[in-house]
Amino acid sequence: MSEPITVEELSELMKKAAGVTVAPGELQERSDSGFDALGIDSLGLLGVVGELEKRYGTPLPPDAERCKTPRQFLDLVNGALVAGA
Amino acid sequence: MSEPQPRRAAVTGIGVIAPNGPSTESFWKSTQEGISVLDRVTREGCEHLPLRVAGEVRDFEPSEAVEERHLVQTDRFTHFALAASDLALDDARLGQADTGQAPFSVGVVTAAGSGGGEFGQRELQQLWGKGSRYVGPYQSIAWFYAASTGQISIRRGFKGPCSVVAADEAGGLDALAHAARAARRGTDVIVAGATEAPLAPYSMVCQLGYRELSTAQDPARAYRPFTAEACGFVPAEGGAMLVVEDERAARERGASVRATVAGHAATFTGASRWAESRHGLTRAIGGALEEAGCAPGEIDVVFADALGIPEADRAEALAIADALGAHGGRVPVTAPKTGIGRGYCAASVLDAAAAVLAMEHGLIPPTPNVFDVCHDLDLVTGRARAAELRTALIISRGLMGSNSALVLRRGTP
Repeated sequence: MSEPITVEELSELMKKAAGVTVAPGELQERSDSGFDALGIDSLGLLGVVGELEKRYGTPLPPDAERCKTPRQFLDLVNGALVAGA
Repeated sequence: MSEPQPRRAAVTGIGVIAPNGPSTESFWKSTQEGISVLDRVTREGCEHLPLRVAGEVRDFEPSEAVEERHLVQTDRFTHFALAASDLALDDARLGQADTGQAPFSVGVVTAAGSGGGEFGQRELQQLWGKGSRYVGPYQSIAWFYAASTGQISIRRGFKGPCSVVAADEAGGLDALAHAARAARRGTDVIVAGATEAPLAPYSMVCQLGYRELSTAQDPARAYRPFTAEACGFVPAEGGAMLVVEDERAARERGASVRATVAGHAATFTGASRWAESRHGLTRAIGGALEEAGCAPGEIDVVFADALGIPEADRAEALAIADALGAHGGRVPVTAPKTGIGRGYCAASVLDAAAAVLAMEHGLIPPTPNVFDVCHDLDLVTGRARAAELRTALIISRGLMGSNSALVLRRGTP
């Protein structure tokens, strides 16, 4: 059912939920950097998770908000969304 | 071996975001000219409320003052605090390069009486309008009284002692005293003060329960303490942050010592028990003078609390007489807050900022909108009065019963 979440979408969500701007290209390049280094704190990531849960109408795995890097996060979330299809 | 010299707390920087100016310079210019900026409330969603007059900060654009993440993550009172801290640190010539070398030597103390009401209201409307999933996680910290202290320290990387005073309007003075004690105990720099943003619908409705609130319609007549027409106080937003430093550390780095925090004391006499505040204030003033080693006759100017209800004004006038003796009837007293409103905890910090500026300029700012004083006080009205000012007394009371007094001495640059 669900299309995987792209780096572009993650970039948008980070801006919306936490007011942090990291362009998609840079986010792609730094996908193994910690969210903290990108300016996203734990509440910011929680906000991103909340936005996705609203959008898909389904809870994400509890580990989603504990992901350290964008790559980890996208892998986990996209895995869960595909599995839920 | 001689005893080490006791450390003294100096004021080296001032940052103001006030209804009469979004900078220290504009605040002082307007304050010393006695300009009143009290006006009809224009904030969205507030126009229908019985609170008609307030001191709104209109010349402040948050997006120009703070980063986007702070716009999303923090309330207006924190935007004021971050912006005022930047101004104060710039004024003290303390850049990131200076504070970054010794992050554990820099702390933050703020006072807050109303917290992040506007942010909180928005999120609670999401909760009841759409559901809990629509409440953003930053609600958990943005409304909180401690938010500004936390955000200032995180944003600047300060790792010294950080704290928050939650003690009513008088908490503004308590925060400055707390900073001075931290400086004496060994922290080199403390960014200290208070900002408030109580002019949003939810916060305003909360204030409507205060019988001391003025609901007068005419901005020129809404806040006239110490007169027979006193009908309550007008609320305001904004505030000030000061840089309080160990005096020796300040001198060593070549900073200008603009004032020293000489004495402080605080008492508590109960919510809205204004007659009893006389004794509480007297005791607070006495304690502050004692700590400062200051005789009553040395006080050159008093910045009054000036609540604006007859019983409270009388108690304050009597407390000044009780604490200062015959000098109480001669010393110039002023309340510049009648031109900008009372910003809760921020009001007393703005008074402290005005006191430092008054001592520097040798000029006592007047009390706008006030004529025909009906108490035995030499209240400065009309226009500013030139005077040699070495020592200033600042008095503040809170609606919940706190009384504080702070003695500032003029610095030697």
